[in-house]
Amino acid sequence: MRKISLTIVLSMLVLSLVLSACAGPATPAPSSGGETSGQPAAAEQNITLKVLVHQNPPMVEFMEAFNQKFTEKYPNIKVDMAVVNANDLSTVTQTRLTANDVDVVDMFGFANAAQPYMKNVDPPNWQTLIEAGYLLDITDQPFVKNYDEATIKDAGTYNGKVYQVNLGRVSYSGIYYNKDLFEANNVKVPTTWPELVAACETFAAADIPCMTAGGKDGWPIFVGAYGLTGSIYPDQLALVEGLWTGTIKWNDAKSLEMWEKMKIYAQNMMEAGASGIAGDAAPGRFASGAVAMFPGGTWYASAIEDAQPAFQWGYIPFPGSDNPEDNKYLFGKYDQGWVIAAKSPNKDAALKYVAEFSEPANYQEFVNAVGFIPTQPGATLDTQIGKEVAPYLANFRVGLEQYWVAPKGAGQYANPWASYFKPFGTFDDPKELADKVQADLQSGLDANK
Amino acid sequence: MIGYHFGRGRARLTPYLLLIPGIFLYILIALGPSLATTVFSFTDATGIRGAPMHWIGFDNYREFLFLGQASRDNYAALWRTLVFCFFVTTIQFGLGLLVAMLVNQRLKGTNFFRTLYFMPVILGAVIQGLIWSLFLYPLGGPMARLLEFFGARSEFFGGQPTEAFAWVIVVQIWANLGTTMIIFLAGLQTIPEELYEAAQIDGASSWQVFKNVTWPLLTPSVNTNLLLNIIGSLQAWQLFLVLIGYRNGTQVLGYLVYAQGFGQTSGSVTSAFRQGYAAAASIVLFLLVLVLGTVTQTILNRREKRIMG
Repeated sequence: MRKISLTIVLSMLVLSLVLSACAGPATPAPSSGGETSGQPAAAEQNITLKVLVHQNPPMVEFMEAFNQKFTEKYPNIKVDMAVVNANDLSTVTQTRLTANDVDVVDMFGFANAAQPYMKNVDPPNWQTLIEAGYLLDITDQPFVKNYDEATIKDAGTYNGKVYQVNLGRVSYSGIYYNKDLFEANNVKVPTTWPELVAACETFAAADIPCMTAGGKDGWPIFVGAYGLTGSIYPDQLALVEGLWTGTIKWNDAKSLEMWEKMKIYAQNMMEAGASGIAGDAAPGRFASGAVAMFPGGTWYASAIEDAQPAFQWGYIPFPGSDNPEDNKYLFGKYDQGWVIAAKSPNKDAALKYVAEFSEPANYQEFVNAVGFIPTQPGATLDTQIGKEVAPYLANFRVGLEQYWVAPKGAGQYANPWASYFKPFGTFDDPKELADKVQADLQSGLDANK
Repeated sequence: MIGYHFGRGRARLTPYLLLIPGIFLYILIALGPSLATTVFSFTDATGIRGAPMHWIGFDNYREFLFLGQASRDNYAALWRTLVFCFFVTTIQFGLGLLVAMLVNQRLKGTNFFRTLYFMPVILGAVIQGLIWSLFLYPLGGPMARLLEFFGARSEFFGGQPTEAFAWVIVVQIWANLGTTMIIFLAGLQTIPEELYEAAQIDGASSWQVFKNVTWPLLTPSVNTNLLLNIIGSLQAWQLFLVLIGYRNGTQVLGYLVYAQGFGQTSGSVTSAFRQGYAAAASIVLFLLVLVLGTVTQTILNRREKRIMG
């Protein structure tokens, strides 16, 4: 009898375990999205709007304040904002979109669609997400008209439909410089490569590190040297096409000049220890006043100001060329933009959120906070960084990495990155590195012929 | 004759019923995803549900093993994985045994030290990474200051690939030493005290006691630890992600799988997710673990039979 009872109890236990494991997650009650909008009961329903953004301290600070304001206006909508490292944004975006666990996502501008001359490449992630139906078509939303047409076309449109409102362009080919140190050491703001080299030599003689950057994250070193690539290849889309079609090579005479300068940048200009500094710690290091220059993107301006409000700094295009006329370009990218999850149960709330954000007054505050070059025609960048970049805005160009799609089979060195040089990488000889980079790229190009 | 433990009639089904939850969970968590990974490795899956997916046969394997310089980089990562496995396994094993023997002494404070050595195991990879990133911060971090005192300096994780790689080995060992220690400690505590007393009466030296009593009787723990260390180090990737990120000359296969699957290889934040290709890479990793694991287990089993009978 005892054994039979035990068997029954165990059987029930097993059955309940199996049933509970088979059952799907508890289905939430439909919230005020899509079809239910407009019904008073649904409008009153409490909603948690899930927003995903990438780590950018001034932006996160602004977003927290904006979320609070938004919640005050829409008390039934609670904003649950997650912040992830920029490197992890696409991973988390994909995971949460496919799990239907996010409503509004900050996504980088659409730029690198596969071009006809690119053979056998996988389309970028955003393109796949659109084709799989994960991003909401916002073509007809009134707030889209708040943004300039060129931006909507260049950074938010795919196959004639709008999926993103892009919130701003950023330049990453500039250098922040410490005005006090320049003045104290009698150094002129450099407008050519020889002047930059001379400036660094002066600072080195005074035992002042010339440049710092967040070398631990890798990309700040590449981004910091962007002016070198840009001054030699101002038309970056043509550069991409040239590399794919073989009319430009990373080891030709023109490119070799770039590698030689990159070696000086990585080995003579960067301070010792820069390879251990994290990307978001670098602005603080520069603002401490210990370093003369900081090559980096316009998005760092707020962090520098926050770290040392009284700190005197300026921002110039990276003078990569010997000719000052070639150094008047700013290279950059379309930074974050809002996309809405097409399968979100909170579509109405998500649209309200993006619409509220796109209100000119809110957008202006956002631009002031993060230092983005505005994409709304009425907005202006009134901050110091805005004033610093204003003379070069007519020469703004989208950078290589926004267009680049690597061929399959290309080696790991098939990029124009200064971080391949010691101490960040293993190379010391520009010619050897140039040959390696071209060989790694060529290997992929040949494999796909 | 030994009676059937669960009785007769329907009661005979009890052990099978008891197995069901375990088998179900195994299929759900381990076998199912493994089979799915095998299937995905023959497709161009992106991991995005609803995105078009095509059967591409062995293309992913061909690309991983034979296409261009990337395939040669993959072999380099494979070799690096074996190097990582060798150093982590040997050092962690040796150090774990040493520490276990130390904290097995009847001394004051052994419980404290057991806890201290085991503590890193309970921390996640992110916390472990954060602790070591701060500890090894090259601009004024504690280790940098210590080196400075001796007139030396290091870039640690930001240094040359070989140096950064070596530091990840150190962190991997630190993070998992506790598990090795605990398994050895459990083994040491099962050795009867009388054997040590008898050896002492026979005048055996400490080394002779270790060689003839401790080491042979630790065989089950040795086998468990060796297998866990080998498999664990072959699969390691989280610490590489947290401490170094995608950096040429440092990737191991486990991290390569992650980087390919989640578009972190080309330097563009909007690159494609190649989860079909990553699945093929993970099958290669699985085969490596399978071969090394099986060979090791066979050798260890033979040794155990020889020693333990």
